[in-house]
This record gives sequence, C-alpha cells and structure tokens, in this order.
Amino acid sequence: MTRTFAVVTDSTADLPREWQGRYGIEVVPLKVLFGKETFRDGVDMTNEQFFRRLAAATSLPTTSAPSPGEFAEVYRRLAKDHDGCISIHLGAQLSATVEAARVGAQAVEGFRVNVIDSQTVSMPVAFLCRVAAEAESLEAATAAVEQRVPKTRVLALLDTLRYLEMGGRLSRAQALIGTMLDLKPLLLVADAEIKPVDRVRTRSRAIPRMIEYFKGDLPVEHMAVMHAQAADEAEQIATALRKDLADGEVTVGQIGSVLGTHTGPKALGIVYIKA
Amino acid sequence: MVSAARATGVDGPLFKRALLGSLSWLAANHEEVNRLNVFPVPDGDTGTNMLLTLQSAVEDVRESNAAEVSKIAKLASHGSLMGARGNSGVILSQIFRGFARAVEGKTSLTPAELAAALEEAANAAYRAVNKPTEGTILTVAREAGRAAATAASGPDATVPRVIAAAAAGARAAVLKTPSQLQILRDAGVVDAGGFGLELILEGMLKSVEESDSALAALSEARKPVSPAAQVALDLPEGGWGYCTEFLIEGSNLDTELIRGQIESLGNSVLVVGEPELVKVHVHTDDPTRVINLAGGYGKLMKLSVGDMSTQHRRILDSEGAAGTAKASRANGVGMVAVVAGRGMVEIFRGLGVDAIIEGGQTMNPSTQDMLTAIESLPYDEVILLPNNGNVIAAAKQVVGLTKKKVHVVETHSMPQGVSAVVAFRPERPAAENLKAMRAEAERVQTIEVTHAVRDTRSNGLRVRKGDVIGLINDRLEFAGGDYAEVVHKALSKLGPDSYELVTVYRGEQASDAELARLESEIRTSYPGLEVEVQQGGQHHYPFILSVE
Repeated sequence: MTRTFAVVTDSTADLPREWQGRYGIEVVPLKVLFGKETFRDGVDMTNEQFFRRLAAATSLPTTSAPSPGEFAEVYRRLAKDHDGCISIHLGAQLSATVEAARVGAQAVEGFRVNVIDSQTVSMPVAFLCRVAAEAESLEAATAAVEQRVPKTRVLALLDTLRYLEMGGRLSRAQALIGTMLDLKPLLLVADAEIKPVDRVRTRSRAIPRMIEYFKGDLPVEHMAVMHAQAADEAEQIATALRKDLADGEVTVGQIGSVLGTHTGPKALGIVYIKA
Repeated sequence: MVSAARATGVDGPLFKRALLGSLSWLAANHEEVNRLNVFPVPDGDTGTNMLLTLQSAVEDVRESNAAEVSKIAKLASHGSLMGARGNSGVILSQIFRGFARAVEGKTSLTPAELAAALEEAANAAYRAVNKPTEGTILTVAREAGRAAATAASGPDATVPRVIAAAAAGARAAVLKTPSQLQILRDAGVVDAGGFGLELILEGMLKSVEESDSALAALSEARKPVSPAAQVALDLPEGGWGYCTEFLIEGSNLDTELIRGQIESLGNSVLVVGEPELVKVHVHTDDPTRVINLAGGYGKLMKLSVGDMSTQHRRILDSEGAAGTAKASRANGVGMVAVVAGRGMVEIFRGLGVDAIIEGGQTMNPSTQDMLTAIESLPYDEVILLPNNGNVIAAAKQVVGLTKKKVHVVETHSMPQGVSAVVAFRPERPAAENLKAMRAEAERVQTIEVTHAVRDTRSNGLRVRKGDVIGLINDRLEFAGGDYAEVVHKALSKLGPDSYELVTVYRGEQASDAELARLESEIRTSYPGLEVEVQQGGQHHYPFILSVE
C-alpha cells in the first residue's frame, strides 16, 4: 500500500465487505445487546441471524457505541505502519460513537487522527471512506470528506416508527406522526438532523414518494439502495433508478444489525451524496 | 274551563292553549316520529323539524294575551314561517298560514267555522306545494279537515268533538299512507310528517277537553304506530340532494316567479309567503346556485343547507377548537375537521388537525359551528374537512362567511378525511396541500357497517330491522346476519387484489368478540391485505373500514 494514512470507520457505515480489503478501510464494530448477550455488529452475527432474532425477541435489543478504549486500541495498532488516520463515523446526532473516537484518539500520543462527524449513517459514510481512501494525503482526504459531509443524504422509509421510537432516536411528534395510526414515515437524515419528509398510509404508495424525492435531488455523486430484509423491493427501486443515473451504477446493500435495531425490519433507504 | 270551550267556541285564549298543548304532546312524542326514516341508517329528523317549527310558531303566541283567535293564529303563522325546518315543517307553516287566513277578523270560532278553517288550512298547504303527493302530511291534513267538517255538521257539534274528529281523521289517514306511497310500503312505515300532524291535533284535543270520552278512546288506540318515515314529496329515484331552506326578505316578491326558477334547480320545491317575506325550501344538488339565484331577490335569512334525512345537532368540541393554539405552522394553514367518535377525534388531532367539530353521522354540524371553529384558529387560511356527505354543503357555505380563506376538501367519510390529513405537509403551501389531500381522499374506499333501523327495501336489497347492513362509499350494498359476513362481501365487491391495507375503526357498540371475528374473517379470506385496528369510538356504526 502506497497510502501512508489509515482510514477508519464503524460498522454502521454498512461498508461492503470487499471494500475493506480493496480500499484498506478499518471497521470498528458497535454492539447489539439482547438482554445480557452482547454481539459485535457484523462480526459475531450475520445480518440474517440478527433480523431473525429481532423478529423473535420479546424485548427489543439495545445498541452501544464502541468504547474510547476500543478506538484507542485500533489507532495504536494503525500507528505502527501509518503516519496518520482519518476516522469517519456516524452522526453525533445519532450516536456517541464519534465522541468515543475523539476521546480514543487523544489517548494515542504522537499519532494524528482526524475524527470526522459524518452527520449521517449507512453507506454515505462508506462513500466518504472511499473518497478518503482514494485521496493522496490525509489533508486532501480530510478536505474532500469535510466538503461532502453537508451533501450526505439518507432517505429512509420505515415500515413502522416503533423501533426508532423505542431507541429514543425520534419521537412520534418529531416524525409528524402524533397519532395511533400506523403510518409509514419517510425520513431524511441531513444536516445533522432527522427530518420527516412525508407520511404515507401504505408501503406501496410510500416507495414512489421516496423515489420521487430522490429524483428531485439529482444529480448525485454516489448513491445506494439499502434495505433490512426487503431485498426484492430494494432491487425494484434500484431498477427504477438506474435509468436516471448517468453511470447507471446503483449499489444495493443491507442495513447492519445496529442500524437495523433502530429501523426495524423492512426498512428501505435511498442513500446518497449530492454532487 | 272545559265547558267554556263548548259554550264559546275557539277564541284567542283557547287557541293559545291548544297550540301549547300540541307543542307539549309533539315534544313528548317527536322521537317516535324521528326514530326512523325511509333510508334505514340510524338517523332521522322529521319529528325534530316539526317540533322546532311548532316551537317557533308558539314562541310569540306564548307572550300574547289576545282575545281574538285571529291574532293568535296570525302570530302562529308568522312564527312557523320564520322557524320552519325541513319539508314537513314548511308544510306545517302553510297549514298555519291557511288557518290564519281563514279566521282573519274573527274573535271566536264556532265548531263549523273551526272545521272550515281546518279545511282551508289543508287547501293552503296543497297550494303551496309544487306537485302535491298523496300519502303525505298533505293527505293527512285534508282528511283531518274533512272529518272535522263532517263532525261539525252534526246536531250536537262541539269544539272538542270537531277537534277529536280531526285527530281521528288524521290517524286514519296516517295508517293509510303506506297504501298510497310505494316508498312507504317498501320501507314498511307510515308517513312521518302526517304522523307529526296527527300528534299536533291530538295535543290540541288533550288541552281543550281532557275528560272527553272520545279523547280517552283515542289515546287508548294510539299505540305507537308503525314506524314513521319522512317522505320527500316528489323524491326522484336515487337522489336525496341537499335540503336547502331560507327566507327572502324583500319587497314585491313574486312567489310564482321565484318558484318557477327554483324548480329548475331541484325538487320538493316549496316557495311560500308574502310579498315581503318568502320561505324557500328545495332539495337540490347545487345549493349554491339556488342561494345565488334567491340572493338576487332580496336579503337571505335563516339559511340552512343540510340533508333531509339527518338530524341537525351540533356540539362544538371546545378542546379541539382551542383558541389558545399558537400559529406555529410554517405554511400558515390551519385544519378543521368534523369528526364523530372519541377515538376518531384523537386520531385526527394526532395527525395535526387544529380544531374538531364533533358530529357528522347523526348530528350534522351547522355552517355556524364550522365558522366558529375556523374563526378560533390562529391561521388566516384554513382547510375544512366535512368527513360526511351530508356536511359538505354546509361546509361550503362557510367559504363566503369569513374573511379567512377557507378551502373545503370534500371528504365524504372519516377514512377519506384521515387520508386527506395524512397528506397534509406543514411546510407546503395550501394549494399544493389541497391537491395532494384531494387526490389521497379519492384513493380510499370506505365501508360502513351498521344495523338497519327498520325493514326496508333499498337498492334491490330486502332489509329487515336489525340486519347488519354494509355501505360502500355511502351506498347501501349488502345486508346480512353479522358484521364479518357483510364486510367479507363488501371487500369482495371492492376487489381485494387492488388494495393493500384495511383499517378497521371500531365503533363503541362493537364487542371484543365481534372485533376478533371480523379481524380473523378478513385475515383468513384476504391474506393479501394488511389489517390495522383502531379504536374509532363512533356511535351507530360498529365498524367503519378504510380500504386503500
């Protein structure tokens, strides 16, 4: 590897497995706790196993950020053969992960770590990592990533607001769903906030809304369609979008366990970085 | 008191007492008149309309100590015209008018003069109606007059006997109404307006001669008659339209001319009154055109637009119409909805509706109720959701009555209203919201499940009282033994493959077992449909389903 700086992210970036090797990206796992059992996100349990367990769980799992010590350990290891590191993590509005990374970085003396709050989650973070990995220097990587952070978007269609609500990430009122009705919230993660975009009664009506909203945001630099146990619908969305995209490239990815704990099953997302 | 009536005939005080007696007797029995109407959904209003009309007739009479029967009759005539509500109420006002004309200048009436006045009252009512229909209140008025005339021609005629004969004649005529009108025969009821008139005559009789044996016999016989029905005088197949009523105040008003013009806009047309004050009643699909036309003749007063088959009572939800609300919405647009049922109120509130007017199904709020709610909001632009086909016309009236900009999204049911409100986005301007809300409202299908309030035939269906009936988008489509069966049929008719979600709004009457059975029926028969249950809490309709 000719690159002298390391690229670190966390498991909620939904980084495609092959990117880890191809771009040399280090992934620090968050944790899912079913009662007293702890699993490292994407390490100890596959996504399929997780969602099967989530469906069967009598009480919802909780999630936790990596500890500063865990980050420090990773940085210390990377310090051996790198002269610096960019560490890009899920938005501070959603998790304490980025704070843990900052504290962890301070514990490793003599090693420069640029911790970036991506203000977003899922594959936009992976795209930022790829941008960083392809940069020529840590400075260039940091500048390229920071310039793109305000352009990240996660457009999420949840099958229910229950999981997000239980996880304390968003109230019904914030989602414009102060009602008993089981509405399908269409949410947007942007500018370090979760904003309601629309609320729709049925899934089949919500998907076209999501696509329509996305098209209004074109052109995009990177994009992917994400899903939690809804591969067929994700493929349909990808097919519908391919013709609208210059390079026709639409990645379809799976939402990991930690993020899945908050979205619940059958969540769909169009995630992108605006051009 | 009793002998005074016999000795002196009908003078002012006696006629006043008779009117008060008829009011209390109708008040005591008007629910019986209300109970049912031709359309077998749980609502009805003939008794209430007649009672309110009679109350208005008696209002000024109460204050009067006039000795002359003519003066009392004139007050009753004027009062009934001002307060006339509904078809039967308007005809009742014409009966009073005919009576007042017949007794003009008279201090007291002999039995023969009383009978003649009753006959003239019936004639006036016939003249006031565009196309008189037999088997209605008109027939009952005429038969009452005839019976009175026969009794008055006898050698020992007294005022109580003449009134007793009129009441008996009315009763006989009421019982015959089903043989005269197919719609009554099909529905298995007697005419409600005619029955109301019978009650009025009976009430008069009670007050003038409590001890008369003829009355005792009559009271004995007057077991609850078969269910009463409101029958529109010349109701066309299929359409009920909006019952539109108002007074025109002007000068040199030509009732013939006005009637001719109104007739082209609707049916059941009644245009009656004096050159200075004309009462208009019409069933029309386009109340606005009628109002615009009439407005050209003079000042419109006591305007009311509603459905002839529904009860008009309103409760303004004070909590919902909280004047304390802050104008916090980015687009500056408020929302007001007419909602029935506690759970439904919560659902609409939760979706962001600013003010709720309770009512709809059996209680149609007035234009005034909606206006009050709209005025209470801190927004200058307001979207109004009537959520009931019978409320739409009144809702549309609000538009011209306030400085605020009011948009009516014509939702015919609460499910339509829910869909419309769900589409509302607080950051989007009103025009965009309206477009989205209207499109969403049209997308949803509504199934309403209730019990037939009596036997009837409608839309080719034979319905027995108590049967479960299912309405799809306000149209009676199915009858059956239980909720699950009727909902099964209704969903099958809609074609479940085209839909995704059924929301079941449980009414206050539905039991847990009934709900469980309904749910399992839908899930078993239509596994492709998602089922969501909500506590609607609505009266009268154990289940309302939204299919989308």
